[in-house]
Amino acid sequence: MNTCGEIRESIGAWLDGELSGAEADAVRSHLETCLICGEERRQLENLNRVMKDIFESEDFRLDVEPFWHGLRQRIAAKRPWHADLAEWAGPFIRAPSFAWAVPAVIVLLIGALYFGSILPGWGVLAPRNNFATVESIDAYGRNVALLREHESKTTVIWLYQNSDNENEGAGETSDKGPAF
Amino acid sequence: MKPAIKVLLFSFFLCSAALHLNAADKTFQSVQITIKTVAAGKQDSEFDPRLAPLEKQLKALNYRSYRLLKEETQTARWQGNANFEIPGGRVLTVRPQEVTNNQLSLRVQLKQGDKPQLETTVRMNNGGNFILGGPPHEGGVLVLSISATAK
Amino acid sequence: MVEASDWELVQKCQAGDMSAFEELVSRYQQKVFTVILGLLRNREDALEVAQETFFRAYRKIKSFQGGSSFYTWLYRIAVNIAIDAQRRQKRNPLDFRESMDGVMEERNEFAKDPFADVHDKELRVKLVQSINDLTPEHRAVIVLRTLEGLSYKDIGELLGCSEGTVMSRLHYARKKLQEKLRAFL
Repeated sequence: MNTCGEIRESIGAWLDGELSGAEADAVRSHLETCLICGEERRQLENLNRVMKDIFESEDFRLDVEPFWHGLRQRIAAKRPWHADLAEWAGPFIRAPSFAWAVPAVIVLLIGALYFGSILPGWGVLAPRNNFATVESIDAYGRNVALLREHESKTTVIWLYQNSDNENEGAGETSDKGPAF
Repeated sequence: MKPAIKVLLFSFFLCSAALHLNAADKTFQSVQITIKTVAAGKQDSEFDPRLAPLEKQLKALNYRSYRLLKEETQTARWQGNANFEIPGGRVLTVRPQEVTNNQLSLRVQLKQGDKPQLETTVRMNNGGNFILGGPPHEGGVLVLSISATAK
Repeated sequence: MVEASDWELVQKCQAGDMSAFEELVSRYQQKVFTVILGLLRNREDALEVAQETFFRAYRKIKSFQGGSSFYTWLYRIAVNIAIDAQRRQKRNPLDFRESMDGVMEERNEFAKDPFADVHDKELRVKLVQSINDLTPEHRAVIVLRTLEGLSYKDIGELLGCSEGTVMSRLHYARKKLQEKLRAFL
């Protein structure tokens, strides 16, 4: 990281303390001598200072009374759970005889779930859902594939190697990847 | 009370009882992380019997041979790092982030030397696993099974 | 890790102690509100989202099992609701215009501050306007970094993106703000 352009791209991250040791040293020593980048730093510091002032100003102060009033109302105004359930299930239940089918089905489902968990192989349901959720991913410029293998219900993260061969290790040839 | 409402109340009581039985109403102090390092190749046709629990998952990758190179288990505290050495000068770092509704959040980083290759955050079932594969190894690839259980 | 005192309060909440929940709300109401207002730019919307945040936290408190800090967990709820509210703002242009009236009021509040240096005053007004002009994604990283001093890693986890993405969004947002405010900085 040597040119002014590269340094200016990194001043923000440097001020945030997010650069590695070597990168931070490079920025610091460049700023000691370069007036243009020094001015950039001054502007960014000024920008951060004013933004912080704005966010901490009275304009961002919470009106505590209305807030608490609204929150207490929400908590107190919770609908009873049976009212919600009755509203949902009401149209489906007309006669008492049919209505009793509902708990019967629930008991059967509970039985299937519960026995499946304590006696593997006895459960009537499919294998437990093992899918994972990938919330964020950074492959540093490499191609990466996210796959859901449905038979085993497994999430697969596949990292492809760059075609221009980084030094992956002596004698290691690249593989084209699995044939999904 | 109307009969339909009585039935619904009874049904809801059953559901609540079942959920309560299954609910993990406890706190977790640490996370046990297990990494199975597998060498997958297209030359021979061999399936390491020690990999039997992962057979379905691995065979879906469509390689011909699977050999267990290493299995390692470490216990990490929340926000602590568990570092696993992976063949080829690589290090896999797993950091448990949090658990909510029996779902674990893990931060996973793969590095070769000091060069990061992959960084990801994954949310998975407590006690479940996911597969991370692709790094080349001796003409084939490495496949890592990453599983974690909060205790 | 959860601070001991926060965790004790969470456990009491889980046991049904309402006063423990109120104590947690008192601790974090201002922080949560400030972040949401920074994202939504409208006081009424921010107040409603803040109330909804704590209400959902109250309803879901039993599912919190430790690991991350309570504040991070609460933050995630707040950011998710704020993002949904931003999407609704986008879909309902009338609401957006109403929220812009709210922004204008904020600007006038700045102008009424008798102790601010005139140059600073102008800069602050223009800065608020420029921050409002950023896209929601760029505004989110600016607010979380500037206000809370969160690391790129933490911001990435809250917003569901990588550290690299956080870094590039911050760089872009700051560049945009600098371009608009160069004469004032």
